[in-house]
Amino acid sequence: MIAPGTAQGVRVGAARSAAQAGLRINVGQRVKQLLYDVVGLAVAAVMLFPIYWMIATAFKPGRDILSLTPKWIPNPITLENFQYAVQRPYFVDDVRNSLVIVGSMLVIGLAVAFLAAVGTARFGFKGRTGYLVMIIGVQMVPLNALIIPVYLMLDSVGQTDALPGVVAVYLAVVLPFMIWTLRGFVANIPPELEEAAMIDGCTRVGAAVRITFPLVGPGLVATAIFGFIQAWNEYIVAYVLLSSPNNQTLTVWLASFTTNHGPEWGPLMAAATLTGLPVVALFLVLQRYLAGGLTAGAVKG
Amino acid sequence: MNFRKAWFSVFTIAVALVAACGGTSSSNNSANQSGTLTVWLMSGSAPQSVVDGVNADFKAKYPNITVKVELQQWGDIGTKLDTAYAGSTPPDVVELGNTLVAKYAAAGALEDISGKKSSFDNSGTWLQSLTDSCTVNGKLYCVPYYAGSRAIIYRKDFFDAAGVQPPDSLDGLLTVGKKLMTAHSSDPNFSALYYPGKYWYAALPFVWDFGGNIATQSGSKWTGGLNSSSSQQGLTTLSNIVSQLSKADKSGDEAKQDAAFAQGHIAMIIANGWEVGVITDPKAGDPSLKDKLGAFAIPSHNAGQTAPVFLGGSDLAVAAKSKLQDAANAWVQTFTNQKNMAQMATVGGVIPNNTSQLNLASGLNSVFFNAAKNSRFVPNSQNWANVENANVLPDMLVKIFTKQQDIPTATKAASDRITSILNGGG
Amino acid sequence: MGVAVTTPDLESAPRRPGPLRVALLPYALISPSLLVIAGILAFPLGMLVWLSLQHYGLRELIQHSGDWVGLGNYQAILADPLFRQVVVRSLLFTFACVGLTIALSTLIALLLLKVRQAVRVIVMSALVFVWATPVIVTVDIWQWMFDYEFGVINYLLTQLHLGNFIHHNWFDSPIQGWSVFVVVVVWGAIPFVTITLFAGLLQVPADVVDSAKVDGAGPLQTFRFVTAPMLKPIFLIVTCLSTIWDFGVFTQIYVMLNQRPSSDYFTIAIYSYRESFGVTQYGLGAAIAVVLVVILIFVTLFYVRETVRVAEIG
Repeated sequence: MIAPGTAQGVRVGAARSAAQAGLRINVGQRVKQLLYDVVGLAVAAVMLFPIYWMIATAFKPGRDILSLTPKWIPNPITLENFQYAVQRPYFVDDVRNSLVIVGSMLVIGLAVAFLAAVGTARFGFKGRTGYLVMIIGVQMVPLNALIIPVYLMLDSVGQTDALPGVVAVYLAVVLPFMIWTLRGFVANIPPELEEAAMIDGCTRVGAAVRITFPLVGPGLVATAIFGFIQAWNEYIVAYVLLSSPNNQTLTVWLASFTTNHGPEWGPLMAAATLTGLPVVALFLVLQRYLAGGLTAGAVKG
Repeated sequence: MNFRKAWFSVFTIAVALVAACGGTSSSNNSANQSGTLTVWLMSGSAPQSVVDGVNADFKAKYPNITVKVELQQWGDIGTKLDTAYAGSTPPDVVELGNTLVAKYAAAGALEDISGKKSSFDNSGTWLQSLTDSCTVNGKLYCVPYYAGSRAIIYRKDFFDAAGVQPPDSLDGLLTVGKKLMTAHSSDPNFSALYYPGKYWYAALPFVWDFGGNIATQSGSKWTGGLNSSSSQQGLTTLSNIVSQLSKADKSGDEAKQDAAFAQGHIAMIIANGWEVGVITDPKAGDPSLKDKLGAFAIPSHNAGQTAPVFLGGSDLAVAAKSKLQDAANAWVQTFTNQKNMAQMATVGGVIPNNTSQLNLASGLNSVFFNAAKNSRFVPNSQNWANVENANVLPDMLVKIFTKQQDIPTATKAASDRITSILNGGG
Repeated sequence: MGVAVTTPDLESAPRRPGPLRVALLPYALISPSLLVIAGILAFPLGMLVWLSLQHYGLRELIQHSGDWVGLGNYQAILADPLFRQVVVRSLLFTFACVGLTIALSTLIALLLLKVRQAVRVIVMSALVFVWATPVIVTVDIWQWMFDYEFGVINYLLTQLHLGNFIHHNWFDSPIQGWSVFVVVVVWGAIPFVTITLFAGLLQVPADVVDSAKVDGAGPLQTFRFVTAPMLKPIFLIVTCLSTIWDFGVFTQIYVMLNQRPSSDYFTIAIYSYRESFGVTQYGLGAAIAVVLVVILIFVTLFYVRETVRVAEIG
């Protein structure tokens, strides 16, 4: 037995209270951590609820969708909404069109944006401020206001009801945003790397392509995802420009589920789920690059 | 437009390569009539079998023309039509909602076919309201296609259980409704007559039945008529019915009334004939209601008569800028001929464009077809579409039903607004 | 012929482009983008301004010739009391949306730093799901959730005894209706802003934050004096973008009100569209759009200047 008053006792006492304090800190930290986690999950739940509702509705039969008392879990589960959606005419065509349009836009856009990003991030030149202001300024014009001029312009070259016309419009509208984002990423890569390459014999552009381009990979991915989402989800321009059903995009196809007696909720939700899937899939596949890219480039703005 | 021309060269060069990959629309007119005829039909209006049949018949006469029938959606169709008609190659044939025709006709978008009227089947017995919708300044700009009229769809089982019969007067309607409400008093969601506040098409019968009108024209000047005493009387009757018999959203519209009806807490709705199909459609409705549905015409305040209903519907118009006008008219002729019209009525279930074929209805459809005989149209002005887009009538009804304004005030405001818009103002 | 011409070995000697080539290089790099943007948008933008100076109805549109009215459209707009109401309302709405978005996103981003990895992945995935769903779809869902009789929100609120929301129309009262739209817009805006802010937070060196804590700073002070200044460029850009996007909000209101919003619910973008396509006054609609851009430039002037200034340094 160690007597409490002795020196040994004091040391043990001190050790014991230190241990107790340590234990208390641990418990305190654990509780804090748990709280954060719970709040985090709550945030996810609240944000996801409408999406959950969309997916759940997609699996419900018609009568359960419009019931005065909501059914939280679909029961019975039915696939008829999905069947109906997929069998809707031109589904495959419209998927293809959306992919072609957005894909073309991304390929051209990323290339053009990368060059512009290098140009503005690496060089100071006369007119640079003006250029940057234009890039931001163009984004302020609401696309709706440009419907008629764009239509008439494309009409004069016979590009209404044609995919290239839509690609051109999307490109012009999304490019400023892509340039701005990519510029930040490029700016974050130290120019010394390029300079080193140039000393070794590369041209300026060659250095950019060989050194910077691979390093902004994550930035390119992030920019690509931003651009993809903006173009994939655009509606009014595609709707006005593309009149043949086999030329239309997925968003226009989605709009066809809203008839003059209201939306066909079940099939619409099923169709919407199908439309959102590619983007989510794209993100999940590329998300590690995204996180890296954003951290690499975002701070500089 | 010099502005456009200034940019053509720049843009054309840049897009020349791209244009080579794009599709082409209709080619130039030529004596032997070849090219692509573009037809825009609204989704759901014609059965596919009819369209296929028409194209086959048409092909026999015009073997070198390819017909492209494109189905369009109602949402934002105005925007799409504006741009299409503004362009250089508008669709040759377009199905236009009958309230939209005057706007495009007055703007010069449609071909004047006054001289060709007799070439269309049954043009002598075309439904008057549809013909009116096609006539602007005495000239004919389109061909009536099909009509839709409203009557009251009701639950036969609810009526039987409450011991009531379809009424033959507006007072009778209120009495029947009140009995139904009593029979279902334990259900807080029950409506004897479900009437969403913004449903202005269904309010018109009440206005017209008492002798009122939306607007009248003398010379070229329009005067709004909703604040006349007869109009107000009609709206008062309606307001009475709504407040006692309806639990529907007083600020909502009728888009989901069929789905609501299928949920089983409603005894009557004012509806189009095709809404029967929506109510029993498994996608959002209840197929088991098929045999429980009946229909009767909206009664007049005079016992034994029916109230005039709004005749909805569509017309077919040929574009003024079309390069294949002869072929376009020929297509419309084929589409609206006796045989195909009959198919629309029997297979499609829509009201055909002429009175001589009104007897083709079967089942509940006969009620709606007959209602079309006593039908009216909205003021046939090029500015009517603006009245609709400015929500004048729905807003007025909402104010009345939610008791925000009394009927004299609400109708006066609406009437003044309609006068202003129809006469070219805002 | 026998003369052998030797070409210089192009790869061996370091190539230094002449001063002119260096000077021209940035212009060459930005010229494709200029070509695309100017080539495609210059005409429409020019025509927008040109339209705004004319009386241009449907007839004029089809015949391709309008009546010149100079600044007449602008005068009409500025004299219209409805227009002023709409501008004020749009500004208030934008202010509310942007403020809430930035505030909530910052909180969530900070939270993401604290949660464990698994929860972080869950939250990020949730945010991406929201972001990836097209706006026209999410608006349909929200409309459905706020439905008068079938909506799940009315049901939930009543079940939670927060009042009787059965048969409650959220758009009867503009205050409630606008609150709904703020919720919808902010919900849709949070993912992008949160993810961007979070990425920025990851860049803030942990040791700086820790030393602040050792010096006795509480979490609020740490954020205010240490973290936030480091994130200034990001805050600038997301605020700027959010303002631009929220000021131009159209789809959410247009679709949720069944394409027929009453004038209580006009934003400036909707007002422009309605004048153009609703009452076919394209000249007026164009003028309103131009005014929208001008207002937006003024509102974001500070942010744009700051952002470009930061970009200059970077």
